[in-house]
Amino acid sequence: MKIKFHLTLFSVLFCMAISFAQTQISGTLAGADGVPIPGATVLVQGTNNGTTSDFDGNFTISIELNQNLEVSYLGYLTQIIQYTGQDSINVVLEEDLNELDEIVVTGYGTQKKSNLTGSISKVTNESLDQIAVARVDDALVGQVSGVNIAATEGEAGSAPTIRIRGTGSITGVSDPAVVVDGLLVDNDYLGNLDMNDVASFEILKDAASAAIYGSRGANGVILITTKDGQEGETKFSFNTYTGFKEARQSEAYYFSIADEAAEEFAETGTLSNRTQRKVNLGVDTDWQDIIFDGGTINSYSFAVRGGNKKTKFSTALNYIHDEGVLLTDDYKKYNAKLKLDTKLNDKFSVGINLSPSYSNRRRFDGSTHDILRQTPWLPLYLDANTIQNVNRVRDNGRYANAQIGDYALQRMFDDWDMTNNVAVVSGQDISNTSNTNPAAKVLERDRNDYKFKLYGSLYLKYKIAKGLSFKTTALGDFQHTKRDRWQGVQSNRNGASAASYEVSNEITTHFVTDNFLNYDKEINGHEINAILGFSAEKWDTEYESSEGKGYTSDLLQTITAADPTTVVGSSFNYARRLISYISRVNYAYKDKYLASVSFRRDGYSAFGPDSKYGDFPAASLGWIVSNEDFLKDNAVISNLKFRFSYGVSGNPYFRTSGGVLVDNFPYLSLLESSTAVVDGASAAGFNPINIANSGLQWEQSIELNPGIDFSLFNNRISGSIEYYERTSDQLLIDNPISSTTGFNSALVNIGELKNSGIEFEIRTKNVTSENFSWNSTFLMSSNDNELLNFGDSDGQIQNVDSKRAAEWINSVGNPISSFYGWVVDTDIPLEYIKEPYHPIGAEAQDVYVKDLNGDGLIDDDDKTILGDPYADLVWSFANEFKFGDFDLSFMIQASQGAQVRNMGDQYIFNHFNSAQDFNTATTPNQGFIKQKIFTDDIIQDASYVALRNVNLGYRFNAETLSYLNLNSARLYVSGQNLLYKTADNYTGFNPESINTTSPTTYGYQRAGSPIFSTVSLGLNIEF
Amino acid sequence: MNFNKQKTDIMKHIKILALFFVGVFISSCESDYLEPALTSAVNGGNYFNDVDELNTAVINMYDGLQGVNSTSTNDNKATQIEFYLTEMRSDNTRTKSQEGEAAQFEEYAVEPTNGIVANYYSSFYNVIFRANLVLANLDVATGAAATRIEAEAKFVRAYAYFQLVRLYGDIPLVDSVISPQDTDVTYTRVAAASIYALIKSDLATAVAGLDNTYRTRASQAAAQALLAKVNLTTGDYAAARALLESVVASNNYSLEASLDDVFYNEDNNETIFAIGYIADGLDSQNFSAEWLNAVGRTSGVNYVTNDVIAAFNDFGGNRGASSFRVDADQPTQHQVTKYLPVGSDPTTAGNDWIVLRYADVLLMHVESILAGANETIDPAALASFQLVRNRAGLPTVVTIVTKEGLLNERRVELAFENQRLFDLIRFGVSQEVLSTFSTGFSATDLLLPIPQREIGLSNGLLSQNPGY
Repeated sequence: MKIKFHLTLFSVLFCMAISFAQTQISGTLAGADGVPIPGATVLVQGTNNGTTSDFDGNFTISIELNQNLEVSYLGYLTQIIQYTGQDSINVVLEEDLNELDEIVVTGYGTQKKSNLTGSISKVTNESLDQIAVARVDDALVGQVSGVNIAATEGEAGSAPTIRIRGTGSITGVSDPAVVVDGLLVDNDYLGNLDMNDVASFEILKDAASAAIYGSRGANGVILITTKDGQEGETKFSFNTYTGFKEARQSEAYYFSIADEAAEEFAETGTLSNRTQRKVNLGVDTDWQDIIFDGGTINSYSFAVRGGNKKTKFSTALNYIHDEGVLLTDDYKKYNAKLKLDTKLNDKFSVGINLSPSYSNRRRFDGSTHDILRQTPWLPLYLDANTIQNVNRVRDNGRYANAQIGDYALQRMFDDWDMTNNVAVVSGQDISNTSNTNPAAKVLERDRNDYKFKLYGSLYLKYKIAKGLSFKTTALGDFQHTKRDRWQGVQSNRNGASAASYEVSNEITTHFVTDNFLNYDKEINGHEINAILGFSAEKWDTEYESSEGKGYTSDLLQTITAADPTTVVGSSFNYARRLISYISRVNYAYKDKYLASVSFRRDGYSAFGPDSKYGDFPAASLGWIVSNEDFLKDNAVISNLKFRFSYGVSGNPYFRTSGGVLVDNFPYLSLLESSTAVVDGASAAGFNPINIANSGLQWEQSIELNPGIDFSLFNNRISGSIEYYERTSDQLLIDNPISSTTGFNSALVNIGELKNSGIEFEIRTKNVTSENFSWNSTFLMSSNDNELLNFGDSDGQIQNVDSKRAAEWINSVGNPISSFYGWVVDTDIPLEYIKEPYHPIGAEAQDVYVKDLNGDGLIDDDDKTILGDPYADLVWSFANEFKFGDFDLSFMIQASQGAQVRNMGDQYIFNHFNSAQDFNTATTPNQGFIKQKIFTDDIIQDASYVALRNVNLGYRFNAETLSYLNLNSARLYVSGQNLLYKTADNYTGFNPESINTTSPTTYGYQRAGSPIFSTVSLGLNIEF
Repeated sequence: MNFNKQKTDIMKHIKILALFFVGVFISSCESDYLEPALTSAVNGGNYFNDVDELNTAVINMYDGLQGVNSTSTNDNKATQIEFYLTEMRSDNTRTKSQEGEAAQFEEYAVEPTNGIVANYYSSFYNVIFRANLVLANLDVATGAAATRIEAEAKFVRAYAYFQLVRLYGDIPLVDSVISPQDTDVTYTRVAAASIYALIKSDLATAVAGLDNTYRTRASQAAAQALLAKVNLTTGDYAAARALLESVVASNNYSLEASLDDVFYNEDNNETIFAIGYIADGLDSQNFSAEWLNAVGRTSGVNYVTNDVIAAFNDFGGNRGASSFRVDADQPTQHQVTKYLPVGSDPTTAGNDWIVLRYADVLLMHVESILAGANETIDPAALASFQLVRNRAGLPTVVTIVTKEGLLNERRVELAFENQRLFDLIRFGVSQEVLSTFSTGFSATDLLLPIPQREIGLSNGLLSQNPGY
């Protein structure tokens, strides 16, 4: 009895003790900066008892005495606090400085950064969307080692040139592949993305990582992942900025009649008739000011993201308007996005991602070189003063009806005696061209690109068994591009007869089906991840265009209003197909020994019937030395990994001179319709447009990439150094052939090219304290490009413009294309020039060149390689400072070793004007004189150092935020290209600007469009 | 528990099997999948199956001769740029303001990198390719059609070679469709004599196989007149005479009442062979615009020299009024009026380019009788000469024809028709006349340079003409 009582009492007391021992405690989680952390996991160690912190970082949990609370959150160090009876537990979470647990997106999957064996660089969008540029690729300058982004065109909305580890291809396309949320899109797509919606960029640089994209990975792959929804309360974010852009002008191209007259006066003691007349006109126009009119850039972006355990959603809207720094150029872009991921049940999950976008780009429809070579004495419009000097009599009264406000033409002022206000017969001309007003060429033309793109994907994921899942995705994009171009009646010297309108529409449908099995398993420290998949892809393109002429006015700018006998139309369509078999296995043992093997087989429709398939294997190994016992607790080395990768990838894209049909069916002999005239009527014929190559196959790229990743002193210093060697062979070349065959080029697979270099990255956390922190990042990459084999074309010499036939040479042992010509000796003294001071700013077109072989003659044997257009070294240095609520970051980026053939000099310095010819009667040593364009006079150093980005921001503190009811708010001022220093001998305004020619004649610059600097003010708020 | 595991296994197996079958299904229709249909061009491998298809290749040859009216330097301009290489290298025309690449011709300072020189070379080898393509597929035609087609292709080929050999000298001989690997053909300069042998043999076939139906396609008279000109160039005067007399005897051609009718009445009786153009977007020409002041892309080329104006004053009769005029915008300059643009837009003109006409036949007749001598009084020669002079408003009876007189007559009759340079060479007076006309002229300037592009590509196999 007594025992029973005691037992009962004991059990009751025990139960009470238990029930009372389980207390509810609450607490708050926050980061070191005091900002609460929602969504962190709070667990009672050793039990199933867990919860997550709420929006304010609060949590409540039942716990017993002496039990431990485990608090963890991605990116922060897990903390364990023992419950010893505290009323509440407030935890401050420290950021996990070890970023090695970061997840990196690889092709068709993800991997822990620590387990990577290939070369993949990740750039997270922390403040990339605060760089005031309209395109996402423009913002990546200097962010990734080995990736060289050059602003080849400065027009609003124009695409920069991206090269990953050098130029690997000869016929046309060395651009990296771009994958957006799993869909491999064409590069043009980058212009329609919204940076505010991008979560991260992963750049797959070596072949082993890119080989998973097989036939398209040879030039590297840029993976873009857009933002997902997050579990938790719905977040609204609004980002906006307004910026002002200004072009960087060239001093060398600045001409002023006042300066020139002063120079002539100082040299000769008097002003020639011509110069005097120009001065008397009283006009000194700076044409750079007129065509580089600057502009503003505005961006507005609104996003809603959120979700719960089962469903996540992310929606975004964005509008950007970039007025561009050139006269008339303009770019507007509208984006919308909806991304939904939902777990139907334990086994099935589905998702949908829809993103339509529309961009409207008005182009600068002129050429800077053409406009800037105009004389400074010409006004833009006629005004009350200048109209008095118009010769209304000349040319049969051609300018009799000139009025104030009309465009001024050079010829208007010829043969006019300004003192007596009367026309003279002739011999008093100051013009140097019969061309129309230079700004009229741009203002009276209207050229636009309208692009609508719709990206869509739908996936279904099925969990078959533990660790094994199957995912099928249907994705694709639809693109409609409309291009039109109106050239008005005042846009050409020939007036209305040259007015024309052309319009074209291109529609491409791209559809992909991806089907993958994914297997994850861990046994005793062996981690295996394998994927096996099949993918089929198709592109269908339709193109049509029409063109009309015969307009008499600018009133109706349509094809219907054109003269019907001048209307020409064309249309064609073509299709491409791709089939792929993909597999990959990643293996890791105890986080120490890593291996990865992948294999992809692609079949592509544009290759010959017997060579449609290509195999792309890759393998890589890694050893995380720092996890070995002997280094595990080393004070200095926190992480050390050796890795080595080898891979084969391909490139199927080429652009021949034969046109897009030849590009897609090069293995067939294609005939297009042609017409001749028989007895006054049109007769139809068929004409071969190419030489077929039925054996055409892949371009192959084989790459070796050893590397070392390290971090020292508990991740205070981290970085990597790697060497890569990429050999591209079976290069697709539109090989020039003798025109006696009837054709000028034929597409063949010959040639071998090698790109090798070193990439070095170092990131340091210099100071980390509560109120001040300072981080630095230094990236550096070098690239050496060498042509190894060029078949019968070794030593080939080409030019791009037969009227200005400056030469390039492609010879084995040198970069793919090198500048070739004579070397300058001295200038021709002014006394031998016919008219040294006319036109303004002109330079003699000839120069004395060196007799390199000393044989007393100047001929082809005195020509030599003058340089090449490829940068030897590209580096960037970024710093981030945080002090209190303020933060400041800036990045300096530079490129060294590239040269450019600045043909702009020939135009802008009026070389070809016969007034600048040397006097054949008096000039000595005429056998040693050659035109400057054939020498290194126009081969200029394209190196630069630039202050690329500066960003000064202020983060609102917690009090202000709660007063305004916001989660976070940041106000910032950002600047791009605030400082940009070019080499001394460079005369242009943009050393990165390269005209589109072929890779064998690369580095040609015809003035191009300028570098510009932007200053913007922005606000990012979240609520 | 066991049952569930079995179910999962089965499900897993079914899934994998399904995937496998899908894969097999797809791979079986793979080969078709990877060869999408070609809808915007014709597959040459399946073409040339019958005579209709072969005829399209015949028409294609004339398209080649027309050249493309465009601003792109990659397009073959063919006949449209011929005047640069012929008239502007003679004492008949020059550029208006001595600027640019075009000025190299009148200054006798042509560079091997000259784009017009290279374009003409490519254009006419492309014409030769089109002709060889027809000949390569001749087996699909039979009987009369085959004879005619062969004759037509050989006429066009011969014409192209005749232009090329006169301008460039020794050139590669391509008489079949070749591939870029045939470097022994593409980079071997064959002696001009062998080229002439091919030309003569081709034209003989053409004469035998054609009739006189067309003026803008090959005809028998065109083949005869062209062969006559070839014979005159190689000194075979008797053969030339016989051919020319056949043309006269055919009674198909006669002189028009005035020179204007020849150039502005398209279906006139004097034209033997012309390259046809229409003022639309596809088949137009632009040389008419280039010969005017700032109408085309240049500021004016093929402008008339004072030298030829003097010749018109001395020997022209009424021809001067129909051949040139004062440039209204620049009264000290003179423009050609034989090809003023026809059509609403002068840059897309429809004027046909006349290659051979009856007046040329008559004057060649005189030349063939003269046979290299200094003068003749042969009545047949006098008669032909008289016909041309009568039309020119010079009815005075001619009693003797001298070599110089014939040369002058040809100059004023056929001015600006791309004949003058070849006439000077054929009459053996080019050195004397041109060095008097221009101080820059030297004997090596009679031949154009082989385009630098070809020399560069040949890697040393091709030699350049002397003086370049």
